[in-house]
Amino acid sequence: MSWRLRTPRVLVVDLDGSRGSAVRARTGSMVACEGEVSFKDAGIGGGGGLRAALKQRVAGESLPLMEVSGRGSVHLAVEAGHVLLLELAGEVLRVESESLLCLSEGLRTDVAFTGLRGASSGQGLFTTSVTGHGRVALLSLGGPPIALRVTPRTPLVVDPDAYVGCLGEVRQSFVTDVSWRAVVGESSGEAFSLRFEGSGTVFVQPEERR
Amino acid sequence: MTFTAVTSKVVLARVRPGGEVLARRGAMLAVTGRVRFSPVSGGPGGGAYGGGVAAALARGLQGEAVALMVAEGEGTVHYGSRGHHVTVVELDGTRPLSVEADRLLAHDASLSSSVVFLGQQGGLRGAVRGAVTGQGLFTTQLSGRGSVALLSHGGTFALPVTAGRQVVVDPQAYVAHEGELRVEVSAAVSWRDAVGRGSGEAVQLRVSGEGTVHVQASEAKL
Repeated sequence: MSWRLRTPRVLVVDLDGSRGSAVRARTGSMVACEGEVSFKDAGIGGGGGLRAALKQRVAGESLPLMEVSGRGSVHLAVEAGHVLLLELAGEVLRVESESLLCLSEGLRTDVAFTGLRGASSGQGLFTTSVTGHGRVALLSLGGPPIALRVTPRTPLVVDPDAYVGCLGEVRQSFVTDVSWRAVVGESSGEAFSLRFEGSGTVFVQPEERR
Repeated sequence: MTFTAVTSKVVLARVRPGGEVLARRGAMLAVTGRVRFSPVSGGPGGGAYGGGVAAALARGLQGEAVALMVAEGEGTVHYGSRGHHVTVVELDGTRPLSVEADRLLAHDASLSSSVVFLGQQGGLRGAVRGAVTGQGLFTTQLSGRGSVALLSHGGTFALPVTAGRQVVVDPQAYVAHEGELRVEVSAAVSWRDAVGRGSGEAVQLRVSGEGTVHVQASEAKL
């Protein structure tokens, strides 16, 4: 199995037909393919099992994934977003479900509680967590993603609409900055933000989701 | 090489006597030198630029005729449209390029353009393909030697197609193809799609023959 970028916005996955080469990709993200490749819905909970499906139903976090298997190569792209490839070796990746493009076979997905936020990001109080060993491809709309480091001495605040995901031991909290200025229409436009503390990496995209 | 890329979204065209350039109306961004612009009557197929009355008629039927302007004289023109990515394709005269009129930014006036009724290529199947891809029932075919600038969302990549190498493309991501390729709609609709649990890849374009297919990095229409 090999993954490569055909352009900064197109991921190519070569499947050799073996069991381990199958991947789970965002539903409908195939733009072209060659060979004998089949697509089917990854099942309830995006392949995460019944428990994950139940949690998703409750959380309102939807994770539409399809299982891609067979022998051949598949080109994946969504909305001209830039593709970020990550290699996970046991650490936990938390990601907004709409930023997930593709996952290799060995990875598990689940729904994670992220604390009180959601009024502005529209993502609810939950996010998708990816654990295990394998490869993952994320989407960054509007241009290549920016990776920002969080250390215990330098916490980070990001716009929820531009937030893609985070890697490492990072605690996330929701910050509101609603003052009398916002009420009279003189706000800074950044009333809600996400604050990250701990140590790890946070990925941000250049375009804000609407 | 009429077109050179300035950025991924802007191309520079060199215009000289005998080397006129046709482009969609409103795509001109900047001009240097002595260049005149005039509308091409009857769409890209009409007027002095090949195609004739039949093509003009077909354009009219198509209903979505994209008005073209011809740039004549001597100088350079920058072209771009609505922030979309531009791909330059060089045609060596051995194989024609088929592209939807909406996705055509500019091309050498030396290329002859004709409007092809999709039904001609594959009867009802061709017509179905047009309806499914949202292209309508007609497509523009450019032949001869020269260059073409195509519009896409997120840029394109080229996939070679040979006799033993059939390629499947998402109808919304399909941009254009070079060569005499057969493009057929294949519907792999299963019971899963009916209950809303499909893979989202139920309708696909099967491309076979000898040539190249250009695919964009998005499933958005222009």
